[in-house]
Amino acid sequence: MRTDSIDHREPMSEHLARRDFLRQMAAASTAALMASQPKWLAAAEGELAIEHPRPTADACILLWMAGGMAAPETFDPKRYLPFEVGIPVEKVMSTFPAIDTAVDDIKICQGLEEIAQVMDRATLVRSHVQPDLGHILHSRHQYHWHTGYVPPQTVACPHLGAWMARVLGPRDPVMPAFVNIGQRLEGVGESEELKAFTTAGFFGSEFGPMNLPYPDQAARAVRPPRDMRPDRFENRNRLYRKLIDASPQREYLSDHQQQSMLRAMDNAHRLLSSPKRDAFDVSLEPKESFEQYDTGRFGQGCLLARRLVEAGARFVEVTTEYVPFLHWDTHENGHKTVERLHREIDRPIARLIHDLEDRGLLDRTLVIVASEFSRDMIIEGVPGSNARDQARVKSDTLQEMTHYGLHRHFTGGSSVLLFGGGMKRGLLYGETAPDRPCLAIRNPVSVMDLHATIFTAMGISPRTAFAVERRPFYATEDGKGKPVKDLFA
Amino acid sequence: MTESMTIGSVRFRGASRFALALLTMLIAIAPVAADEIDFAHDIVPILRRHCAACHTGERKEGNFSMNTRGSLLAGGDGGRAVISGDSGKSALLERIAGDDEFTRMPPEGPLVPPEQAALLERWIDAGLPWQEGFSFLPKTYEPPLRPRLPELPPSRDGRTNPVDRIIDAYLAEQNLPRPEPADDASFARRVHLDLIGLLPEPRLFERFVADRSSDKRERLVRRLLDDDLAYAEHWLTFWNDLLRNDYSGTGYITGGRKQITRWLHDALRENKPYDEFVRELIAPTPESEGFIRGIRWRGDVNSSQTESVQFAQNVSQAFLGINMKCASCHDSFIDRWKLDEAYGLAAIHATSPLEIHRCDKPTGRIAKAAWIFPELGEIDPAADRQKRLEQLAGLMTHPDNGRLTRTIVNRLWHRLMGRGIVHPVDAMHTEPWSADLLDHLAVHLAENQYDLKKSIELIATSRAYEARTPRRETASDADAYRFDGPVARRMTAEQFVDAVWRITGEAPPKHDAPGLERPGDPAPMVRAALMKNDFFMRSLGRPTRDQIVSMRPSELATLEAIDLANSPFLAETIARGARRRLAEFDSPTALIDWLFAAALSRSPTADERRLALDSLGETPAAENVEDLLWAVFMLPEFQLIR
Repeated sequence: MRTDSIDHREPMSEHLARRDFLRQMAAASTAALMASQPKWLAAAEGELAIEHPRPTADACILLWMAGGMAAPETFDPKRYLPFEVGIPVEKVMSTFPAIDTAVDDIKICQGLEEIAQVMDRATLVRSHVQPDLGHILHSRHQYHWHTGYVPPQTVACPHLGAWMARVLGPRDPVMPAFVNIGQRLEGVGESEELKAFTTAGFFGSEFGPMNLPYPDQAARAVRPPRDMRPDRFENRNRLYRKLIDASPQREYLSDHQQQSMLRAMDNAHRLLSSPKRDAFDVSLEPKESFEQYDTGRFGQGCLLARRLVEAGARFVEVTTEYVPFLHWDTHENGHKTVERLHREIDRPIARLIHDLEDRGLLDRTLVIVASEFSRDMIIEGVPGSNARDQARVKSDTLQEMTHYGLHRHFTGGSSVLLFGGGMKRGLLYGETAPDRPCLAIRNPVSVMDLHATIFTAMGISPRTAFAVERRPFYATEDGKGKPVKDLFA
Repeated sequence: MTESMTIGSVRFRGASRFALALLTMLIAIAPVAADEIDFAHDIVPILRRHCAACHTGERKEGNFSMNTRGSLLAGGDGGRAVISGDSGKSALLERIAGDDEFTRMPPEGPLVPPEQAALLERWIDAGLPWQEGFSFLPKTYEPPLRPRLPELPPSRDGRTNPVDRIIDAYLAEQNLPRPEPADDASFARRVHLDLIGLLPEPRLFERFVADRSSDKRERLVRRLLDDDLAYAEHWLTFWNDLLRNDYSGTGYITGGRKQITRWLHDALRENKPYDEFVRELIAPTPESEGFIRGIRWRGDVNSSQTESVQFAQNVSQAFLGINMKCASCHDSFIDRWKLDEAYGLAAIHATSPLEIHRCDKPTGRIAKAAWIFPELGEIDPAADRQKRLEQLAGLMTHPDNGRLTRTIVNRLWHRLMGRGIVHPVDAMHTEPWSADLLDHLAVHLAENQYDLKKSIELIATSRAYEARTPRRETASDADAYRFDGPVARRMTAEQFVDAVWRITGEAPPKHDAPGLERPGDPAPMVRAALMKNDFFMRSLGRPTRDQIVSMRPSELATLEAIDLANSPFLAETIARGARRRLAEFDSPTALIDWLFAAALSRSPTADERRLALDSLGETPAAENVEDLLWAVFMLPEFQLIR
């Protein structure tokens, strides 16, 4: 998908002020508005040569801890206090004790023993921070994290995966470039809000996600309908092609719109009848391996992600699924819920890393574990913020087990794990305060800079821009994202 | 002392520039012979790539502009850059050679490669041949505001529709051929889909084709427009997109958004005059207030997304084809709109003093309610909100506001003809390919009491609309659009689903639009436009209506094609429909003929009939019919409106 006019050797001309760039663009982009897709500004007459970094990863897997994963309950353990009736709530920093990992100076929470064993392949960022947005709301923060832009926006923003699909394209022509696993978009709370960022936005649906909410049914998405027999499926397609050839409207055979429609139908048919589609079928995985992954939909999703990346997918997101007040959205009974979530994610994530490594794919596959924000028991947001409290428990001391856990939204410091794809191995980056509020006190990493890091690893300049409604729209806001250089090996 | 020297030097340069200008005029008058240098193809790309960023358009670094041959020869603060006919004395070549780090041009980035520098040298030696009239400074076009009734050219060959009188003159002037007319069957299919969004019933279109009267096309157009419900429920899709109204979507969960469905459905059914329609949206009743309320998000939003600023953006875009999104953050770099103008509009809507924010930072200034075309009248900033909205509604629909009427007739033209007279339709500051046509349609609308159906009728009864849709080899016509007939429209998701429901008989019994009473006993088929956006329609391009959408994607994406190939919704609908139709027809041939008539508005050719018969067999099973239905639904001929 790259065009020749992006010269990787030429430095970008920094003196071009944004304003001038816009003026040039206004003239250059009329053409872009004619076609249904926005024009890639870097490719516009070669006037603005963007230097794309040399990629350190070819594929990307985002493991999304939807609903706000509490860092002190996972990858940033604090002072542990077991449950006891009557203990003051502010004394409880973590509800899990810390355990050792494969890296000497990194400890994580009990329950994540298998991930602990692969920490020597990971870069652990403990200082990821998000803005408050007034309310700390899942849908808006997830939108922000997935698109790099705080909603609402005047244009429909593309998902991170859509950027990769648009700029890099699929790794294998048969495979969809952007696959989204595990999130139902119908029939769950806030589904409209989820749809708002699970989209290619202004890039158009060619670059949008293939949504596979149930990993064990993913094969259906690339199978002929209702288990149509392969011969019937082929015959149906043959009839279709013959009818096109027999059409009395001969003159439209070379019409571009007709051609593009036929090309899309062809691509679809090719995937639906290609051996590559087996990658979608987790039931074809050897039993032993399947069982290793099978901790539920998320675990199966990790397996599916591995199979898809092996087959040539570019970007795969696997989510624990966002459903209001479920899973990581622990507004009560946090400890018990997180115990279950540990079981759900620990083995599949570790297994995914091992499998990618065994297949020689880890070096060129960036695996990210992230969430829209962290949680804290006592405060929400940061001091001085006007963000309002959402926890339902109002008490100074613990009375019931259901109150034991981290329940309130917190944007001041969360953890992100990065594996492979050119990241350092066994690195601990950033730090949060040992006491409340557990704010990032060293090397804070914003959503923008984290995105810049991810884009850079994938070989996409954070300043990559497209003309949308004659304005530039950048991969990171205003093109300002800076990759965190220290994370790169 | 340094200062006086500097001043002296500037003065000196000023004088030399003047002298140069005189010289330039002399040179420019003299004919320039240089056959071997192709200015447009050899020289312009080099200048564009290496010099344009700082020395063309509005930019003239060091007072040096290359916009025209004159300005190039005039030089800048550094003196003359080129001497025509003498490359040896032309400083430009030295500078681009890049030997001196401090004077090299361009200062950063790659140097002009040697072979291109050699071209420039030859060009200078050849006397700097320049294409007449060429300038790097883009021409700026400012559209007229007031209505203008162009004088109609005489009608040619009995083609009396004003649209044709204008287009025929345009074609003659441009020396372009008149597009051939489409046949009756294509016309019938096209006009049904364009006006009421439905395929013609086989019987009706057969009667239409058989009809020998000369005014049958006009009568068909009228009859379709008179079908108030079908018309309303087709155009509902267009208006829902434009006014971002939907039955589910972002914002409803917290009560931050309100539908206008009932009002809109009524307004379309009653064909509410467009000026009244606009007034009721801007200064609304409780039924129509959803549009200006916009979407209220929980928590803090960027100041360019407050409800009042959304109001400024949405009113400008929907009714005037103005993109106020840039200007609601800072003075626009791409058109003439200013931050204060965006905020002036927003302040009409605001209930409390509205502080102007530039790029999300407070400026300390309070916006004053104002309207963007003061030549038509003013808003009284001291009036209360309701009054201000009424004033805006009045100004927007002021008889002298030709921008309102031009914008809507251009949108209608786009829906019916596949491409705007001004294109894209939300960039109304762009020059139209026929100002006369746009202006005539706009005045026609106002003169007909803002009756949108009259505008549609005028267009749909023109020979221009009836023309065959030509084949197009490329998607982009940005550089040189010439009218050559309609551009194929892709069926909207709603049109596709309606068509499938029609042919399979599988429309749902109930619609999703709350509180909507559909007339008729029984009411006609439920339309897809009345259903909540679902997986399948979203896949086929129905937008989540968080933002205004005025043009949907025209091309089918691969993921959409996958859904067409295997979505359970489509497969199940087709499966049930196949069983229903199989039971209805005596013979496979009868079924095939009916299907072609219903789906493609024509009879199958002998070849097609044979192919279809082969696939159905003597005694078809339901699955044979399913596959034939699917194959026909997938044909470009089915999915494109030509």
